[in-house]
Amino acid sequence: MSGKISRRSFLKNTGATLAGATLGFPHLIPAGVLGAAGRKGANDRITIAHIGVGGRGRALWRELANLRNKGEAVSVVVCDVDERSLRRVTQEKVAEGAEAYRDYRHVLDRKDIDAVVIATPDHWHAAQFVHAAEAGKHIYCEKPACCTIEEGKAMIAAVRKTGIISQIGSQGRSQPEAYLMHRYLANGVIGKVKHVECFHYPSPVDTSQTPDSEPPAELNWDMWLGPLRWRPYNARYCPGTFRWMMESGGGQIRDRGAHVMSCALWWMNADRTGPVTIEATGTPPNQGVWDAAVLMQVTYTFRNPDWVMTWTQKPQEQLPRAEERTPEELNDEITRITRPGYGAIYHGEQGSCMHWGGDGGTWAERKVRQWKPEAASVDVYRSPGHFEDWFQGIRTGKKTIMNIEAGAAVGFLCVLGNLSYMLGRKLQWDPVKQEIVGDEHARRLMGRPQRHPYYV
Amino acid sequence: MKNMTAEELLTAIQSQDPDVRTEAWLSAGMVGAAAIGGLAKLVINGNLETGRAAKRALWKIVRTAGAPDGAKEKRPVLNQLVKLLDAAQPPSLRREVIWMLSEISSEKADIDAVAELLSHPDLREDARCALERIPGDRSLAALKEGFARAPQDFKPNIAHSLRARGVNMEAAKK
Repeated sequence: MSGKISRRSFLKNTGATLAGATLGFPHLIPAGVLGAAGRKGANDRITIAHIGVGGRGRALWRELANLRNKGEAVSVVVCDVDERSLRRVTQEKVAEGAEAYRDYRHVLDRKDIDAVVIATPDHWHAAQFVHAAEAGKHIYCEKPACCTIEEGKAMIAAVRKTGIISQIGSQGRSQPEAYLMHRYLANGVIGKVKHVECFHYPSPVDTSQTPDSEPPAELNWDMWLGPLRWRPYNARYCPGTFRWMMESGGGQIRDRGAHVMSCALWWMNADRTGPVTIEATGTPPNQGVWDAAVLMQVTYTFRNPDWVMTWTQKPQEQLPRAEERTPEELNDEITRITRPGYGAIYHGEQGSCMHWGGDGGTWAERKVRQWKPEAASVDVYRSPGHFEDWFQGIRTGKKTIMNIEAGAAVGFLCVLGNLSYMLGRKLQWDPVKQEIVGDEHARRLMGRPQRHPYYV
Repeated sequence: MKNMTAEELLTAIQSQDPDVRTEAWLSAGMVGAAAIGGLAKLVINGNLETGRAAKRALWKIVRTAGAPDGAKEKRPVLNQLVKLLDAAQPPSLRREVIWMLSEISSEKADIDAVAELLSHPDLREDARCALERIPGDRSLAALKEGFARAPQDFKPNIAHSLRARGVNMEAAKK
């Protein structure tokens, strides 16, 4: 018998009770239950539970409709800590017929669930991801993957240990015009890329002067906080607005940086590397409860090969203008650029090119779309769609386009940018060991102790 | 950012102009330990936005003192922060201070002050998290001592921290 004792068996043996005993405790299936032998076949339907069905969660439910309609998936569970979200999806026929849960741990107990779609606030991603992996569930998890470096490492370790297939929701990689950008850059049309200039409009300022208060009766506030340290409820924390809190969201650099910088790492073939220095400056909000940087400038320096990525949140009027598309360039799939406020310019030795968006909407500039490959041109992976790519992974075992290693690498960029901004100093990063060097204070912030019992 | 005295900082934090408050808290790192007591009072008693700005100023001071070149200022800052753990202070302030200490403290006196709060009903979980984060033998010893003394309902929390610090709890139970 192994000398180790699991957290759960320790709790059981000591007879310990939970603060919220009625929530129960997960009885997790042993790791590796979904190894190759148990892999779903090409014709098998994948049974899915949706954890987190607020704004983004509802959108993901709808995005899966195509695969459900083809009989490739069935969504049987919705889970949320906010009764209002549950009511909305179950009563407004978004998720008609699905069973409603309030505690994801009971969802993970169900043996009939093959996979989970996690669309909870960012501070929940790592814990739910790791617990789902331990329960043998395949995972689609919204971006950004992690809120700390240690969370990202724990997520990677959980996937390696259990063999489950994961996909992080930086779906820009799977967009048709992302493929065109990737192919254009991979063929060296603008030469070696030396600078990826990511741009975005500012994070918002909370001018509402909202004090802390009692949480609404429909919201389980303790469970919403989960791993975060306890604090009183404030109506400006949620729903959705968690994005503008450093601890739970991290501002535009984490919300959209996890899209735009995801494309950059993919196209620069840099998923398995990272910067060596990170230096950020920014302008905080001048009031309100939100604390993420309004304006921001981050420089990431990569070595071998040498290139630089910058992330800049700047006023709308300073953003590059979006290209106007002619009627001939539009069709059902490719519409006008509806998200012109973010994207990236790729500066190469022999020219530059750009894209707008980088998430579910990704638009490449005209010269990229019109470029024709020659016989000798290299091709790049063309994702069949972000969910479809994940399903292929579940069925064949292939690595997904935004697997957890890639997701964590992007998450680390977002986290490190915010850390440098928050600490007001340049950080040195060891991309091999994936740790901050030479700054004891910053090293402590690579992790964040989590509140009982919501540990990764 | 601009150079300010502690008095100037406290005055600016109470300004009705949000930009003045913001410039003040951004400059707080240069003021350092001398402003901590006054800022703490504003966190507790100031109006909503003054309290928020004062709290941000405290964090700025901590994060400036924690810099690799901030060693000289760190001790005075820690001394002032530990004073705020006093039972006379409201738990909301003490909770914030515990997390500040988790980032930059490493000496016995600070760790012992945090460890005492492992028996505080409202603050023990924050104290446990802080000790988990603070590296070194002293914080580890404090967790072990805390585990031995903890009531049954809190032992799992400290057990997690001990595991996170590399302790084999199976062996520890024997």
